[in-house]
Amino acid sequence: MFEKSDEQLIKKAQKGHKKSWMSLLKRYEKPIYHYGLRMTGNNEDALDLLQEVFISVFRNLSSYRGEGSFKGWLFRIAHYRCIEFYRRKRPTQGLDDAPEIPSDAAPAEQHIEHTQRNAQLISAMQQLPLAQKSVVELKFFGHFTFEEIAQQTGMSVNTAKSRLYGALVKLKTLMEVDYVEL
Amino acid sequence: MSNYDNAELLALWLEEKLTASQRDSFEQRCVEDSQFAQQVEAASMFKMQAQEYQSTDVPNWNKEKIFDYGVTSSVWSWLPGVSFVTSVLAIVLVLTGTQVNITDGELRIRFGAQQSEQVVVKMLDSRLEEFRQTQQAALSLYAQTLQQQQLDSASQLTNYLLTSSRQERREDFAELIKFVNQQRSDDQLFYARQLNQLQQDIYRDADGVAVESVQQ
Repeated sequence: MFEKSDEQLIKKAQKGHKKSWMSLLKRYEKPIYHYGLRMTGNNEDALDLLQEVFISVFRNLSSYRGEGSFKGWLFRIAHYRCIEFYRRKRPTQGLDDAPEIPSDAAPAEQHIEHTQRNAQLISAMQQLPLAQKSVVELKFFGHFTFEEIAQQTGMSVNTAKSRLYGALVKLKTLMEVDYVEL
Repeated sequence: MSNYDNAELLALWLEEKLTASQRDSFEQRCVEDSQFAQQVEAASMFKMQAQEYQSTDVPNWNKEKIFDYGVTSSVWSWLPGVSFVTSVLAIVLVLTGTQVNITDGELRIRFGAQQSEQVVVKMLDSRLEEFRQTQQAALSLYAQTLQQQQLDSASQLTNYLLTSSRQERREDFAELIKFVNQQRSDDQLFYARQLNQLQQDIYRDADGVAVESVQQ
């Protein structure tokens, strides 16, 4: 079936075409929701973040000039919303600080029936500082290149690479992977 | 050992951008550096797990609200347009010199700045004349004050000179009179002594004559 491109939908949505906006939203709500889920580790927070991201996207849609992919632009907004979300929730915690284990927030796996691996993965990611978690998320789940990650997060390409490397050191321990000698 | 660092090699491997030489370095590093090999294995495992991640459906949420929110906020979107139009109108009115007068319930709109220009020139002239007169009056007052001040100063100086010379003269005369008196006193004393001397001489001469006459 013929599917309209992002650019076509954006142009119509910019003119106030509700149906196009809803199509665009439905196309990206799942990736953004799961982005929020993996970044916050909490279903309620993920839904709040999802709403904040799309409100921000709708507000700024008129300023979108089509430079770069819409997906990249969307995830850049999501990244900054996520940072704001963290700052609001834990104002004293830095981007590179190891997170405290949230006691009041129920983990996502209690609300949604994830597979064991999903739960393990989300749980492991919550142990990472936000700066490392962002790079892991955008690299492995967003499938962005390091250049794109650097653009979206405002860090250098080398920093993005070293943060991913540092994150893997922690994830290796957290996920209790049985390593095999090459 | 190659120059590539571990993070760089791992990043290139993840993006499948390794060149032939980089691939050699990568494989060599995997064999020689067990820690790096474990990192690669962890990355591989995590990549696989990410691929196997099951994206569940999004729970129900109010999607319509976002569009409605946007529409509500766009109620005021006409404001910049209206602002722009009114600004342009104001500029046009200024440039064309439009004047609006309401006198006795009559509204007059006049275009063109010629009339008002003449009024402005006239007003400017009268203001300049007024300013010139004020300045002239101030200047003459200043000159008058300065002249008076100079006269006063000269008068004061003359008085001072007269007074001081009069005093000096008085003192000089007093000195002169004192000197003359002194001289007179000395003269009197001198004449008195002369007279005494003369008297004594006369008496002595008289006694000598008497003795001579007696002896004779």
